[in-house]
Order: sequence, then structure tokens, then C-alpha cells
Amino acid sequence: MQKRMKVILKAEGLCKTFKLSQKQQKLQNTKQKTITAVDNLSFEAYESEIYGLLGPNGAGKTTALRMLATLIKPDKGDAFIDGLSIKTEPEKVRAKIGFLTSELKLEDFFTPNYLYDFFAKIHHIDQNIAEARKRELFSKFGIDEFAEVKVANLSTGMKQKTSLVISIVHDPNIIIFDEPTNGLDVLTARVVTDFLTELKAQGKTIIVSTHIFSLVEKLCDRAGIIIDGKMIVCDTIENLTADKPLEDIFFDIYAKTAEEKEGGLR
Amino acid sequence: MKNILTIMSKEFARFFGDRRMIMMTIMPAILIYAIYSFMGPAMHSAFAPDADHTPRIYAVNAPESIGQSIEQYIQTRVIGINESGIEEAKEKINSKQADLLMIFPIGFDDAALAYDVHTADSPAPNITIYYNSTEPNSQNAFRVALHLLDAYESSLANKFDINRNIENNGDMASTEDFMANIVASMLPMMLLIFLYSGCMGLALESITGEKERGTLATLLVSPLKRRELAIGKILSLAVLSFLAGAVTAAATILSLPNLMGSGGEAGDLFDANITEIYNITDYALLAFVILSVLLLLVAMISIVSAFSKTVKEAGQAAAPLMILVMVAGISGMFGTGQPDTVYFMLPLYGSVQSMGGIFSREYSSLNVIIACLFNLLYAGLGGFVLTKMFNSEKVMFSR
Ligand SMILES: Nc1ncnc2c1ncn2[C@@H]1O[C@H](COP(=O)(O)OP(=O)(O)OP(=O)(O)O)[C@@H](O)[C@H]1O
Ligand SMILES: [Mg+2]
Repeated sequence: MQKRMKVILKAEGLCKTFKLSQKQQKLQNTKQKTITAVDNLSFEAYESEIYGLLGPNGAGKTTALRMLATLIKPDKGDAFIDGLSIKTEPEKVRAKIGFLTSELKLEDFFTPNYLYDFFAKIHHIDQNIAEARKRELFSKFGIDEFAEVKVANLSTGMKQKTSLVISIVHDPNIIIFDEPTNGLDVLTARVVTDFLTELKAQGKTIIVSTHIFSLVEKLCDRAGIIIDGKMIVCDTIENLTADKPLEDIFFDIYAKTAEEKEGGLR
Repeated sequence: MKNILTIMSKEFARFFGDRRMIMMTIMPAILIYAIYSFMGPAMHSAFAPDADHTPRIYAVNAPESIGQSIEQYIQTRVIGINESGIEEAKEKINSKQADLLMIFPIGFDDAALAYDVHTADSPAPNITIYYNSTEPNSQNAFRVALHLLDAYESSLANKFDINRNIENNGDMASTEDFMANIVASMLPMMLLIFLYSGCMGLALESITGEKERGTLATLLVSPLKRRELAIGKILSLAVLSFLAGAVTAAATILSLPNLMGSGGEAGDLFDANITEIYNITDYALLAFVILSVLLLLVAMISIVSAFSKTVKEAGQAAAPLMILVMVAGISGMFGTGQPDTVYFMLPLYGSVQSMGGIFSREYSSLNVIIACLFNLLYAGLGGFVLTKMFNSEKVMFSR
């Protein structure tokens, strides 16, 4: 049955290296001029599933998602979202996806209400539809009370929820969320994860990155573990957690890759 | 197109909704007005001789005729002293209690009359005048004395006159032309600087600020085309800088009469009816130059802003641009007549020459139009570069 599901997102050998400035070299205590953030990363996500990218800090999750969202271009490889190349058709890709990451900020000066309307216009959403959706989403996330408060005066959590709502103002079919529950309290985090499940039920595809194992176990259908920019394993949650909880699996894998690294050094 | 309008309306909402930003933009205008208005009168009271003052003038051996004409001219009696009083009089001038001391040789009238340059074997009779240049009244008395003595000298040996009883001493320039000349040399630079400074603060906020705060990235993941973003930013910045520049220009023009002293020459200057000086074509071309050079300036500043990582850095990076604007502006204050057509293709310089030409009413419409078209071309190129920059992750996301 799973075999027959439609591949809606396909990453093929994505690579990304960053140049390190001398300051960064000093900070990271390295003589390397470049750092490979994502190293030949390939994976697929099926329609209406939640796919988790799991990895420790600095593994390259955010970098991978930024490439998928066309914010940065891969050095090598390509990815196809609903058949559109992120390299050659970035504008069309952008219209298809909703992207949330901490790097994308909302202007302090404006209110959630204004910003929602603004981005709805940028996405050419019919005004009535946008309005109805705004009412629904604002009340779901409790933004309605703060709809006329400037972003500068919102709490971190409320900002995050506003960002989330605005990232999906155009009701995209593919949703890419980088650590969506970061900085949220358990209650709010729950609202977000419930919402993701709801979106999945509506047939949407969701890619989330996180370093929280329990979240992946609870939420995702399939997951890939990334370490040092490389995909180490990628499977369904059932298969991954057949013998042990995900956290133990991760430690095993981590120990193994560390060993290999040392071996390689010797 | 619709996206461009959406971007522009957001930029306007940002600007007009923020009292702090409006204040920041009109602050230069307020300052200019305040400074000029206070400085002007203060300067005049400090440097102008005061009208009620009765000058104290001492003279040694003054011939009757000269004494009388001075008395007529500045309504004061010349105080005759003898040579023993000279030191005391000098002392008084030094301490600003007296204004002038004139020392004539004995029998000055006859000596001067008898003197003939061609036959004389001794130098001409000499008058010594002491005054104090730091005291406006003394300075004024000195000027009057010089003037009278000059007139006296030429009356002694009158061979011919120049421009006797001719209006304006023969200067045929009309007031309009005179005014046009002053305006032509100063205004292009001032306009350029007003537009530049209006734009600078806004672009820093709207481009570097948004980049630094990460709000530009939010726009970059939307399906908005980079080109639309660049055009939207440039156009809204142009409109806002135009308003800012207009406010500053208005403040300057309103305060100029105060600076120059009201009722004085400058006052007359601004009383002259400007509408009689320039015609519709002049105005249309001027508007075209201003709007096109504004777009060019905005494009240039936007590029600098987009390159910079922080608002602070952008402020520094823009300094060379400011110098460029100044140099182009100053070039308009010198030079005579209009340069060759090719020079009108130079960015900024061509516009300054065009504006100067229009103001002084000596221009070829072709040159002005060429300057405008090249402005638009450069602005278009700038827009293209800005689009490329919005597309470049190196520029947008470098750390
Ligand atoms: N613009 C950049 N310049 C230089 N190095 C970068 C840049 N962006 C990311 N990196 C480096 O690439 C590596 C991967 O970073 P990335 O942000 O993708 O990790 P991550 O998996 O999202 O980590 P986290 O869980 O901490 O968010 C890190 O070592 C990071 O320092
Ligand atoms: Mg990250």
C-alpha cells in the first residue's frame, strides 16, 4: 500500500558547503576554509505524510530545508517538489510550499492582522477566502485577541504562532517546518502538533525538522536521521522503532558514525 | 504589477504609521528652518552697523570742503583736533569709543590741486586714516570716508566720466536674469543633496534594516518575484524621498529671506515673480530631470543598502556616494555655458548641468532629455542589479 503512495518531494544528492570567514574559523577552532553543511542528501516524502528530519545541532537540518524552500541554492544535486525543480523553477516552488524557520521574521512595526492581509495579497488569495481562513486560524492559535498588537509587543510564543499562520496563508499542499515547536510551552506545542496532524488529515504533506525524538515518534510517519549533513537511515517509524525507542537507535548510530570517523582518521 | 502596488502600500503604511520615522525625516527641515531663522537675524545684528549710532570722527588739518561733505553724508560733526591729540584719538578708536581718525597734511587742498603726476618730483599728498575693522560702525565710517575722498580726487582732475546718470550703471541684465543666475548656480546641488539625504535614511531602514532583522527573508520565500520586490522598494523610496526632499527644500526656501536679512536684496529676490521667469517647458523638463535623477539616486542608494550587512555599515558605505553627489553638485556651480552633449550622459553630472541650464534659461532641450533618458537607463540598470542582489544568497544571507 505504501509503495503505491505518490512521491511529492524528492531530494537528490543535495550538497551545500559554506565558506567560513576568518572570524568563524577562529570561533570554531578550525583551519578549514569551508564547512560541508549538507552532504549528498537524498530522500523522498510521500503525499499526505509527515516526514521528520532528525539530527543533532549542526547536523544540517535547517540548511537542507532552506534549500528545499529555495532560500539558498544547492552546490550539487536538486530537489523536486510536486515535480518542480528547486533550482530552475524556484518561484513556482515558493507558491506551492509554506516554509517556517526561525530566520524568517515578521516586521515588528505591523500587527498580525496587517501582516496576514499583506501576505494574502502577495499570494493573490481571494479576499473573502483569506478573511475566512484568517478568522479560523487566528482563533485556533489564540491570535485573535492579539490581532491588533504590534509584533514587537507579542510574546515569543505568540510571534512563533503568528509566523506559522502567516507561512501557510496560501493553504499550501506542502509544508516545511523547521523546529516548529522550538520555544513553545507544552500547551502551545501541543496546539501546533495537533494542527500538523489535522493538516495531514486534509491530505497535506509536511516535512518537519527537529532534535526531539519523542516528537518524531508521536507525529511522523517516516523519518530520516541526519548526522554531519549525511542521511544515515531513513525509514518508517514502525520499522525504525521495531526493537528500541528512537533515542537509543540514535545513540547507537551516533556512536557508530563517531567510530567510523576515528577509523577514517587513523 | 499588483504585487508592486502591494509592496508600495506596505512601505507607505510603514512610513506614515510611524511618528518616529516621520520626525526623523522632517527633522533636517525643522533644523534648517530654525538655524537659518535664528542665525540670520543674529548674524545681521552682529555685523551690521547700527542705524542710530552717531559716529565720532576726528580729523587733523581737515580741509573745509571735505569736512562738510562728510558731515552731510553721515550727519555728524567732524571733530577737529591738532597733532598732539592723535595718540589719544587712536587710543579711543582702539577701545571702540571713537570710529575714525583722518590726518591730512597741512594745506592739503592747495597741495592736491597743484599736484601733477607728470611733472611732480615728490610723491602725492598723503592722507592717513585710522579705523577699527572689528567695529561695524567704524568700518562703515571708513567706507564712507574712502568713497568721499575718491569722489573728491576725481573731481580735482576730471578728464572724463563713465556711465554718468545711467540706470544700474549700464548693467543691462534684468532682475529676472540676475535672479536666474544665482538660482542656477546653487540650486542643482541643493536639490541633489536634499533628495539624497531624504532617501538615505529611508533606504537604510527599508532595505538594510529589513535585511538585518530578517523580515526581507520572509518576503523572499513568498512567490513574489525579486524584480517586483526591487521595483516596489525603489518606487516607494522614490515617492517618500521626494516628499522628504520637498519638505527640506521648502524649509530652506522659506528660511532664506531670514538668513539674508528680510527686506534686503534676498528679500527682493524672492518677491520677484518666479512664474514670469520660467515657462511651462522649463517646468516640465525640470520635473522630468528631478524625477529621473531621483530614481537614479534611489537605485544607487538601494544597491549600497542591499550590500551592507547592518544599518551602521550601510551608513559608512554610503559616504563615498555622498561625496560623489557633492562633487557632481559643485561642478554645477562653476563652468560657463553648457557642456557637450556626451557629458549629459554622465550620471548625476548630466542632471546637474541640465538643472543649471534650465534655471539659467540657457539649455538645449535635447541635452536635457538625453540626461533624463540616461538617468532612467541607469536607474533601470540599478533596478536590475538590485533584483540580482535579492536573488543572491551571498548578498542576502551572508554573515
Ligand atoms: N551561512 C552559513 N555560513 C557558515 N556556516 C554555516 C552557515 N549556515 C550553516 N552553517 C553551518 O552548517 C552546519 C549546519 O547548520 P544547520 O543550521 O543546517 O544545522 P541544524 O541541523 O539546523 O542545527 P540546529 O539543530 O542547531 O538548528 C553548522 O555547522 C553551521 O555552523
Ligand atoms: Mg536548525
